[in-house]
Amino acid sequence: MIASMKLIDLVDSHAERIAEQWAKNVVKNPFTPFYHDKPVEKLVPQATRFYHRFRDLFMKPKPAEASNGYFSNYAAERYTEGVPLQEAVYALILMRRQIWLYAEFQATFSTAVEKQQAIDSVTRTMLMFDYAMYFITKKYRELMKLEWFEAPNT
Amino acid sequence: MSGSLKLVNLIETHAEPIARQWARDVRKNPRTPSYHGIPEDNLVPVGVKFYDNFRQMFFTDKPADTSQQYFARYAEEQHQRDIPLNEALYALIMMRRHIWLYAEFQTIFISAVEQKQAVDSLVRTILMFDYAIFFISQRYQELIRQSIEETLGVVNVLRMKNSLGAKQGPYKTAIMVALVLGAFGLTYYCHAVLGQNIIFTHLLYIPVVLAGIWWKKKGILVAAGLGGYLLLSHLLFLKGMPLTDDIIRAAMFLVIGTVVAFLSEGITQAEELYKPAN
Repeated sequence: MIASMKLIDLVDSHAERIAEQWAKNVVKNPFTPFYHDKPVEKLVPQATRFYHRFRDLFMKPKPAEASNGYFSNYAAERYTEGVPLQEAVYALILMRRQIWLYAEFQATFSTAVEKQQAIDSVTRTMLMFDYAMYFITKKYRELMKLEWFEAPNT
Repeated sequence: MSGSLKLVNLIETHAEPIARQWARDVRKNPRTPSYHGIPEDNLVPVGVKFYDNFRQMFFTDKPADTSQQYFARYAEEQHQRDIPLNEALYALIMMRRHIWLYAEFQTIFISAVEQKQAVDSLVRTILMFDYAIFFISQRYQELIRQSIEETLGVVNVLRMKNSLGAKQGPYKTAIMVALVLGAFGLTYYCHAVLGQNIIFTHLLYIPVVLAGIWWKKKGILVAAGLGGYLLLSHLLFLKGMPLTDDIIRAAMFLVIGTVVAFLSEGITQAEELYKPAN
């Protein structure tokens, strides 16, 4: 866990800066066309919120339970905004990538020991995002009330 | 890239045991309940297929383009098995985890150089999965839209809708005017000319039901109008006959019209709920 502290501290103290980079990326990424006409300054707060919550989500002993509430809310907000599901999840993936791009740029993990820390951080971040994908798609499904259209046995 | 080659070779030569471990796990994981009833032997080929395709998707210059086809097919197969999207994605995530969990993987990245290779392999695998999540979600949305349109197919013919949202208003009005005038004429003919109160009134349910389907609550006005006309015609032309039967018929027009209107409104609401995610 201590190995990942470097990354958490970096994300927390540079949340605004990383969020700005994410917003600039998401408004032009070909996988997120919904965001292309959205003003960057309106997108930054949602990413900043995520980066500030990152420590909390990362450190909780039960990451699945901790991320359920946060990512279900994220899904509900995006659904209300009319963001298609695949773009909502991809925008979140871009938030994660932006962390690594920033960490790489800042040369956060350079020594051999730090490389090992990088693996730990990647693994733990991925675990969090695995849950995120599950909870977001689950919430979208509930909001779309897809069970209305399903046969009773499914 | 040579570091990643180790990983790819390991996956390729051990596709079957890794897939079997994944199948056992997915059959009991609390986040994948839809897989619990599928026999292990039916699931193993799904895992093997993924691990067999791993090299191709891993080493391509255009990972997005190469993986799109494979993951779209994965989405189709899982959708066909009635697996919800969140479970289909989680099952795929578990396929990735099982690569790392596989015992022999732990022994191939030991030295400092190999640790660096491990990071490279991780990053590249994660990139592949990022595309996977996007393509599978996208394909599922398309498949769900198709299923809903198929489910609503017959209803949409009656609603005179080609697809979600495509309306044909002017035709509806013309058809309804013709049906209501026909109903008025038939009522007049039976009451005034034949002097009978025979079962022709069953035909009046056609405009009542269609008005409810097309205009929902507003369509109840057609039911009320036809019921009112039936009673008025009875009072004018069938003075010696009891009114009770026609009062019941007029009331039934209202009941049927209201039920159909609410059902039609429910379908429209369901469509509206679905639309924002398109």
